[in-house]
Amino acid sequence: MRWLWIPLALLAPSIPVVTTAGPCDDLSADRKAVIDAVFASEHPYDGCDDTFAACLKADPVHPLVRRLADWMCSKAARGADAASLKRSLERRGLTMMRPGKVHAIASEFDAVAGCTRAPVRLTLYACARCPFCSKILPELYREATNGRLARRVALQLKAFPIKSHKWSTESNQALQTAIDLGRGWEFLLAMFAKFDGFHPDRIPGLVIESGLDRTAFADMTAKPSVREHLVESKKEGLRNGVEATPTLFLNGRRFLADLDTETVVDCVLEELEALGP
Amino acid sequence: METPRTIVRDAVIVVALSVAAAAAFNAIRPAGLPWIADREYETMVPCPEPLGEVDSVAPNDPGIHHERTLLIDARDDDARAAWSLSGAVAVPFDWLEPVPDGKVRELVRTRAGRVIVFGDGGDPDSGRELARELAGRGMRNVGFVRGGAPALRASSAGEGGGR
Repeated sequence: MRWLWIPLALLAPSIPVVTTAGPCDDLSADRKAVIDAVFASEHPYDGCDDTFAACLKADPVHPLVRRLADWMCSKAARGADAASLKRSLERRGLTMMRPGKVHAIASEFDAVAGCTRAPVRLTLYACARCPFCSKILPELYREATNGRLARRVALQLKAFPIKSHKWSTESNQALQTAIDLGRGWEFLLAMFAKFDGFHPDRIPGLVIESGLDRTAFADMTAKPSVREHLVESKKEGLRNGVEATPTLFLNGRRFLADLDTETVVDCVLEELEALGP
Repeated sequence: METPRTIVRDAVIVVALSVAAAAAFNAIRPAGLPWIADREYETMVPCPEPLGEVDSVAPNDPGIHHERTLLIDARDDDARAAWSLSGAVAVPFDWLEPVPDGKVRELVRTRAGRVIVFGDGGDPDSGRELARELAGRGMRNVGFVRGGAPALRASSAGEGGGR
């Protein structure tokens, strides 16, 4: 039976290698024209000194160049034009090249999801009544707990009430109470799941949905420490230059890249790669 | 005389004319909106605090004591009881709640040429935050005292301006 291997070995070079098509392979003609123009003029912020077009011809292609090219192709496929792609790349570089200050972010009065011992900490200052937060935070939570970032990131939630939001104080005090009771993420996700129908009268129902004990919640709410913790959380955000929600920090650095889930996830993965095993 | 039928007919005419006008405008504009969206619109933007631009003022700035200046003390009752500048209006800053609309209107009605706020001088400084909030609510020419009440007190001790 050993002879059967001979024809198989002869045929092997002719068997096409099955590869997964990357985001840059599936672009329509007009999207491809956009990405080609960007690749011809723009340089990756690290990994290769030439333009993307030239760097992608290198053998092997630097992993960061491949990552950035795929990310930009995905954005182009979703409709980004050349100007916005260039701006996105520049903002991502400002975040990932670590040129700025590392801000002091305390590990108190917060809720952490994902892996608390992970080398990457993604801090999110969020308001419980912020519509944008209600969309992106649940997505990031899913990524950190069951998705591409599972066991790879500590997702740190800090309350930052925005005064102009209706029910800001009530909702954020309830959130801080849940944080102080150790179920901040669960409460926030329950609140965001019914974002449009929120009213302070519905907080008791959210308490039950998030697995909190109503009596313990009521006792904690009555404590002045909850408000103090919420104020301290807001003051810390202000010290760190937070003026809007959500505001993200990646290992203490201000996250200036695009605030969409794909970009945030990709930046965290890039940070992990940069930190090494 | 209007009947339900004429009302419906007029409504249909108005809608048809509006649609025709909108379609014509969309056809001649440089980058017209597609009839069927070919990509997702990015409509979500971060929620900002409604803050305005303010400038900082040195504690010994002569403008603080100018007659056209409205001085605002952003600290709480206890701190004000211990020391404040004479003539300063009390607007205690709350880190969570906005300044009530009525209070903002009252401050605007003073028609002051300059508004200077002083707070606790901490990090963050309640005076700076209140100044930014008032500027964001429409007040103009708002500044805050660098270093807040402690710096102001130290400065005015030599001038006898405090109480």
